[in-house]
Amino acid sequence: MTEVLLIVGILVAIFVGFNIGGSTTGPAFGPAVGANVITKLMAAGLMSVFFFLGAITIGPQVVETLGGELVQDPSIFTTQSNVAVLFFIGGALFIGNYAGVPASTSMTAVGAIAALGLATGELDWAVMGEIVVWWIVAPIIGFWVAGVVGRYFYPRINAWIAIEGNDGGREMITIDSSGFVPRFRFGENATQREITGAFAVVGIGCLMAFSSGTSNIANAIAPIYGTGDVDMVPLILIGSAAVTVGCFTIARRTLDTLGNDITNLPLTAAIVVAVVASAIVISLSIIGIPASFVVVATMSIIGLGWGRATRTTTLSGVRAGEETRVSVGALTAEEEGEQSPEIGEEEPEDIPKASDLFDPSTTARVILMQNVVPAISTVGAYLTFRFIPIFGF
Amino acid sequence: MVSRVLVPMEDSEMSDRALEYALEVYPDAEITVLHVVGEPSQMWGHATGIALADDLEDAAEEHANAVFDRAREIVADASGDVDLETAIEFGHPARAIINRAGDYETVVIGTHSGSIANRIFVGNVAEKVFRSSPVPVVVVR
Repeated sequence: MTEVLLIVGILVAIFVGFNIGGSTTGPAFGPAVGANVITKLMAAGLMSVFFFLGAITIGPQVVETLGGELVQDPSIFTTQSNVAVLFFIGGALFIGNYAGVPASTSMTAVGAIAALGLATGELDWAVMGEIVVWWIVAPIIGFWVAGVVGRYFYPRINAWIAIEGNDGGREMITIDSSGFVPRFRFGENATQREITGAFAVVGIGCLMAFSSGTSNIANAIAPIYGTGDVDMVPLILIGSAAVTVGCFTIARRTLDTLGNDITNLPLTAAIVVAVVASAIVISLSIIGIPASFVVVATMSIIGLGWGRATRTTTLSGVRAGEETRVSVGALTAEEEGEQSPEIGEEEPEDIPKASDLFDPSTTARVILMQNVVPAISTVGAYLTFRFIPIFGF
Repeated sequence: MVSRVLVPMEDSEMSDRALEYALEVYPDAEITVLHVVGEPSQMWGHATGIALADDLEDAAEEHANAVFDRAREIVADASGDVDLETAIEFGHPARAIINRAGDYETVVIGTHSGSIANRIFVGNVAEKVFRSSPVPVVVVR
C-alpha cells in the first residue's frame, strides 16, 4: 500500500515539475523567442538543461529547507499527505499556467507545505518567518536596484548593448544539423554586433533557467525528500525530467501568454531585469531560502520603468543631451492667461506623462494578483488537512 | 442632441461593437476614439516597455495606431462620413477614461475585454467607468 502511494506521490511530483517547466520558460526565454532569436523548441531544450544544472548544484540547499526545516517533525510528510500537498501545488500552478496568471512556484509550494505544518501544529514559525521576510525584502531590493539602473544608467547600457529584435524570417540562431557535426547558423545579414546581442539574450535566458532550477526543484520534490524514502539525487533527476516535459509541452502556451508580456520590454531591459532577478534568486537559494522569482522579476520590471519615467528633466539634464519629457497632451495643457512656469519646475499634473504608467495602487493590484495562485494552494491544503480526516493527524 | 461622444477602444471585439453602436445611434455626433496605452499586465512588461522608449509619444502612437486603423475601418464599413477624432492616454484605462469623460456628453464603451488574465490584472473597466463617470455612459454588449 505505501509503495503504491509512494509511486502516486512521485507521479504527482512529476505533475508539479511539469507545471514548473511551463511557468518558468515564459519569463526566462520570452525575450529570446519574442525577438525571434531562437525557436520555442530550442528554448525548451536550453531551459531543461540549465534548470537541471541549477537544481543539481544549488538546489539541494532549498530542498533541505522545505523538506526538513520548515516543519518541526518531518514525519508528517506521510505518503498520503505528500500526495495531497503536491496535488495542491501542481493544481494551483496548472490553473495559473492555463489562465496566463504568473505565480511564484516557491510561494505556492511553501504555502501548501506550511498549511500541512499549520494543520498538524508542526510548522516551524521561525523558518516560516525568515522565508516570508525574504519574500518581502527580495522584491524591494529588485525594485530598488532596477530603479537606480533605470534612473541613472539605462540610456548608457542601452547604447552599449544596442540590439534590435528581428521581425519575420528565420530565427537569428538556429542549429545546422545537416553536416556531420551540428553547428550554429546565424540570420542572413547579421552583423557581429547583432550576433553578440543575440547570444546575450539567449545567455540571460539560460541564467534565468539556472536560477529557477536552484530555487524551484524543491517545490516538486521536497515533500518526498522529507519522507526519507528516496535520496536527493534520484529525486532531482526525476524532478528535472518532469520539468523538461513541461518545457516541451505546456511552455508553448506560457511563452505566448507570459512571454508575450515580457516581449513588450526592449531587449536591453529584459537583460537588466534577468540579471537583477537571477542574482537575487541564486543568492537566496545559496542560503536555502525559496525565492519568489516571478514577484522579484515583476518588481524589477516595475522599478526599471518607474526609475526611467520619474526622472525630472532640468536644464542641466537638457544640456547633457537627455531628451526632455514628451507628453501626448503637452500642446493642449496650457490654459490661456496662465503664466508659464520656469523650465524644469513645471508640475505637469494635468497632462499625461510617463509616471502615470506607474500608479501605486495599480501596481499593487498586479503584485497582489500574483499571490492568487499561492493562496489557492495554501488555503486548499489547509482546509484539506484540517477537516478531512483521512491523513491520520 | 448628443454632439460629442467618447468611445474608449482597445483591441477587442466588444470595443468594435461599441463603436458600431455609437455610429448607429449618434450618426451626427463628433466621435472621439480613445486608446489607453501602458495598461497593467501580468508582469508589468507593457507599461515599462513604453516608459523605456526613446520617444514616449512615438511609442504610444505605435501601440495606438493599430486600434485607430481598425476604428477607421469600422467607420468606413458603416459608410458614414463621420469625423473621427483620436486621443491617447497613459496608465490605467478606467482612470484615464474617467479623467477625459467630462469633455464629452456621452461615453460608449464595450462590456469587457477578452482574457481571464486581463480581467484579473486590469479589472472590469466598463464597470468602473459606469460607476464614476461624470457623464452618461452607454455600455454595449
